[in-house]
Amino acid sequence: MWRYIIKRVFIALMLVFVVTSIVFLVIHLIPGDPAMLLLSGGGVDPAPEVVDAMRRRLGLDLPIWTQYINYVTGILQGDFGTSFQDDHPVAEEIAKRLPRTIELILAATALSILIGVPLGILAALQHGKYVDRTLALGAGLMLSVPVFVTGTLMVLLFAQELRWVPAGGFVAFSRDPVQHLIFLLMPAATIAIGFSAAIFRMTRTTVLETLKRDWVRTARAKGLPRSVVIRRHVVRNAMGPVMTVIGLQMGTLLGGTVLVEYVFNWPGLSGFLVVAVESRDYPEVQGIILVISFLFIMLNLLVDLLYSVLDPRIRLE
Amino acid sequence: MLNIDAKYRNILPPLIGVALVFLLALLAPFITGHDPVHMSISERMAPPSMEHLLGQDNYGRDIFSRLLYGARVSIAVALFSALSAGILGITIGIIGGYFGGIAELITVRLADIILSFPPILLALLIVTILGPGVETLGLVLTILYMPGYARVAYGETLSMRQLEFVEAARALGSPTWRILALTILPNILGPLIVQFSLTVSSAVLIESGLSFLGLGVVPPDPSWGLMIREARAYMVYTPMPLLWPCIALTITVLAVNSLCDALRDFYDPRAVSTNFLANLAKTLIYAPIAKDYSQIDAQKAESALLSTSGLRTEFVTPKGRIRASNDVSFTVAPGETVALVGESGSGKTITGLSVLGLVPEPLGKMTSGQVALRSKSDEIICIEELDDEGLQQVRGDEIAMVFQEPMSSLNPVYPVGEQIAESLRYHRKISRPQALLTAVDLLESVGISDPAKRIKDYPHQMSGGMQQRVMIAMALSCSPSLIIADEPTTALDVTIQAQILELLRNIRNQENRSFGMLFITHNLGVVAEIADRVLVMYCGRIVESGPVSNLFRSPAHPYTKGLLASIPHIDHSSGDRQPLYAIPGTVPALDELPPGCAFAPRCNLAIEACVQELPELEVVGDGHWSRCPRWRELRG
Ligand code: SF4
Repeated sequence: MWRYIIKRVFIALMLVFVVTSIVFLVIHLIPGDPAMLLLSGGGVDPAPEVVDAMRRRLGLDLPIWTQYINYVTGILQGDFGTSFQDDHPVAEEIAKRLPRTIELILAATALSILIGVPLGILAALQHGKYVDRTLALGAGLMLSVPVFVTGTLMVLLFAQELRWVPAGGFVAFSRDPVQHLIFLLMPAATIAIGFSAAIFRMTRTTVLETLKRDWVRTARAKGLPRSVVIRRHVVRNAMGPVMTVIGLQMGTLLGGTVLVEYVFNWPGLSGFLVVAVESRDYPEVQGIILVISFLFIMLNLLVDLLYSVLDPRIRLE
Repeated sequence: MLNIDAKYRNILPPLIGVALVFLLALLAPFITGHDPVHMSISERMAPPSMEHLLGQDNYGRDIFSRLLYGARVSIAVALFSALSAGILGITIGIIGGYFGGIAELITVRLADIILSFPPILLALLIVTILGPGVETLGLVLTILYMPGYARVAYGETLSMRQLEFVEAARALGSPTWRILALTILPNILGPLIVQFSLTVSSAVLIESGLSFLGLGVVPPDPSWGLMIREARAYMVYTPMPLLWPCIALTITVLAVNSLCDALRDFYDPRAVSTNFLANLAKTLIYAPIAKDYSQIDAQKAESALLSTSGLRTEFVTPKGRIRASNDVSFTVAPGETVALVGESGSGKTITGLSVLGLVPEPLGKMTSGQVALRSKSDEIICIEELDDEGLQQVRGDEIAMVFQEPMSSLNPVYPVGEQIAESLRYHRKISRPQALLTAVDLLESVGISDPAKRIKDYPHQMSGGMQQRVMIAMALSCSPSLIIADEPTTALDVTIQAQILELLRNIRNQENRSFGMLFITHNLGVVAEIADRVLVMYCGRIVESGPVSNLFRSPAHPYTKGLLASIPHIDHSSGDRQPLYAIPGTVPALDELPPGCAFAPRCNLAIEACVQELPELEVVGDGHWSRCPRWRELRG
C-alpha cells in the first residue's frame, strides 16, 4: 500500500514538473519572437523599444537556461510574476479565486456522480430494455450539447423567462450561505449535464462488464438474492474502475469550467483566465494554467488513492 | 451477410446526418444569396421574412446565411486540424510503435500527459501568444490532437509489429518505410478513422467554445460560437437568433458523435456482436416446448436425488439458434457421483448450469424439459417451475456448485471467509460473526491449515489449489445434497489436481456430509478415479451412459471408445503424458449438425442409415445405454 502511494505521489510530482516545463517551453516553441507576437495585433507592428521593454520584462533577453531556472525557482516560492496591466502579483489573485473554482468543480463532480452512477447501474441492469435505450439516447444527446450552449440556454430559461434564479454572479459563503449556494447551483448543474452523461456511460459499460464475471455467477449459484448479488458482487466491484476512469477523464470533462465560469460570471480562476487571455497578459495566463493543471494532477492523484482503498489487490501490496 | 448489413445499418443514419451538414456548408453560396457579413443597420433584429428566412441579427445581417457560412468555418477548422494532426500524429505513433525505445518514450508519455489536461487550457495558452483568429485555431487544434492520434497509432502498431505478415514483409527485405506505409498503416486504419471522427467532434466544440469566449474566430466572420456570444446580449428581447446557432451546433456535434459511436461499434467486433445478439435475442421467439420423456428410467427416477428429462437449452448466435444441450435425461442417486463427460462444446457445462437455472440469459435459455430434485426435507421440487426466489432457496442450499476457474470465480474484493459466510448468512439466517466461525471450520475441513487466519485472506493471496479448496468449502457450507462440480481440477496443475480429487473423494465418504455429485469433465482419466456412473455427451446429446466399470470395459459407442483410447497415458518414470490416439476430424459446429448421428463424419463404423436418422438410446447392458445401433459391431 505505502509503496503504491509513494509511487503515485512520485508520478504526480513528475507530471507537475513536466507540465511546468511544457508551459515554459510553449512560448519558446512557437515560431517568431514571443515579445513581438504578444504585442502585435490589429495589423500594426509595435515600436521596437516597446518590444525591447517587453523582452526584458519577460526575461527573454537572458539565456534560456537562466530563464528556466528563474522560472522554476519563482514557482517554487509561489511567485508567478506580476500582471502586465497593474503589476499586481499574479499569485495573490490566483489564491483568491482558486477556492471558488475548486468549489465549482467539486460541486459539479458530486452532482454528476450522484446522477450518473445510479442511472448507469440501472441502465446496465435493464440492458437492452426500454429504460436502458432511453437513458443511453438521453446521454448521447447530453454529451453533444456544448457546455456554453447549455449554460446560455439555462440562463435564458431559468433566469430570464422563469425568473427562478439570478442569471449569474457570486456571494461569499460567509456573507450569505443560501444565496451562495443558489449562485453555485446553475454553473454546477450546467457542467453536470455533460459530465453526468459521461459518468453514466462509463458506469453502464463497467457494470455490464462486471455482470459477465465468473464471481457473479458464483454469487448467484450460492443462492444470494438478486439485490445482494448486484450490490455486493457487481456494483462494489465496478466502482473501482469507474472511479479511475472518472479521475483520468476529469481533466477533459471539467475543461468546461472555463466556459461555464464565463457564462455565469463565477469569479473563479477559469473565468479570470479568459480575461487574462483577452488582454494577452502572459504572466497571468501562465500562472493560471499552471495552477489549474496542478489542480487536475492532484485530483487525479486523489482518485488513484481512493481506488487503492477500494481494491484490496492494490491495498495489500 | 445479415451481419454486415446490420453493421452498416447503424453507421448509415449518422453518416447521412454528417454528410448533410457538410453539404449545406459546402453549398452555402448557392443556397443563400445573402452575404453573411453584410450589415444593414436599418433592419436590426428584423423578424423572419421571405427575404430573410430566419430574420436578421443586431447588425441587420441575415441569420440564415450566417448559419450556413458559420458551418463552413467550423468544418474547415475541424477538418484542417483533424487532418494535419492526423498526419503528424500517425507518423509519430507508427514510428514509436515500430521502433520502440526513445521514440516510444517521447510519443507515448508526452501524449499521455497532454491528453490528461483540459484541452481548452493549452488552447488558451497559445491564443495568448498568437492572438485569436482562424489560423491560430488551426495550429492550436493540430497540437492538441496530435498526441491522441499518436497514441492510437502507437498502440495499434505495437500489436501489429510481431504479426506474421509484418514479419514476412521484413524477411522479404521490404524497406522499412514500405512496411510502415503499405503493410501496417492500412491495417490500423479502423481505429484511426474512429479517432478522426472524435477529433472532428472535439474540434467543432473547441472552435465554437473559443469563439464564444471571443478568442476564436474574429468578428465579423460568422461562427456559431460567435453568433451565440452576440445573441446572448439581447436574448431577453428575442431568443431565436440565439437558439438557431445553438441548434445547429448541437445537431452537428450529435451527428458526428453518433458517427463516432457507430464507427467504434463497427471496428470493435466484440461490441457489435453483443449489440447484435442482444437485438436478435429480443426479436426471436423461442421454439414451442416439445417434451420427450422417452428415455427416463422410471424406476430410478423414483428414488433419485436429481432427475432431468428431455432437458433442452438453446442459445441465440449470429448464425441462428443452436441447441447447446438437447433431450438430456439422467438421474443422480443420493450419494452417487455421476460424471458428465464430453469435449468442450459438447453441452456438458450448459447442462450443469441448466440444472440450477444459471444459463446466461438472455442469449441462452432452457426451452424444455424437467428437472426434479429431492430436497433435504424429502420433497420433490420441480426446479424448472421455480421463480427467482424459489431458485435462490435451492441454489447453495440444496445444490451447490464448484466452478472451473477458482481465481475468477472468487470475488477479488472480499476476503475468502466473507465469501464462504455469505451463503450461510442468507440460507441459515445466522449472524455474520457466527457465519465466519463456521467458515473457519469449513476451511479446516477442506484441509487448509491455520484457517482462523486464512479466512481474512483475499483470493489473490492464495494459490490456485487453495482457492479451489475455498470454493469447495463454500459449496459445502450449507450441507447441500447435490454438488455440481464443473471441471473443478482442469485449471490446476497435475499434483494439485490429484489433491483436489482426493479431497472431494474423502469429503464425499464422510458420514455426516453425504452428497450426490454431478462431476463435469472432459477427462475420462479423472472419471475413473471418482465416478460411479458416466454420461458421455456429444454435440448436446447423451450418446452413452452406464456404470464406470462396464463403460470402461466395454464401451458401446464409437465416440466413447475413441475417448477411452485417447486418455493420456502417464509415463511415471519421466512424467510425460503421451496421448495414444486422437479421434480423427473435429467436433462439428452446433449450427450445422447432420440430421442423423452427429458423430457420423468422424465414425469409422458409419453407414448410410446413421446419417439419415437420429439413433435412439438403446439398452446395451445392465443400466448401460448407447445411442449407436451398431454397438454390437463395435464390440465385435
Ligand atoms: S450411429 Fe453410426 S455414425 Fe453414429 S456412432 Fe453409431 S455407427 Fe457411428
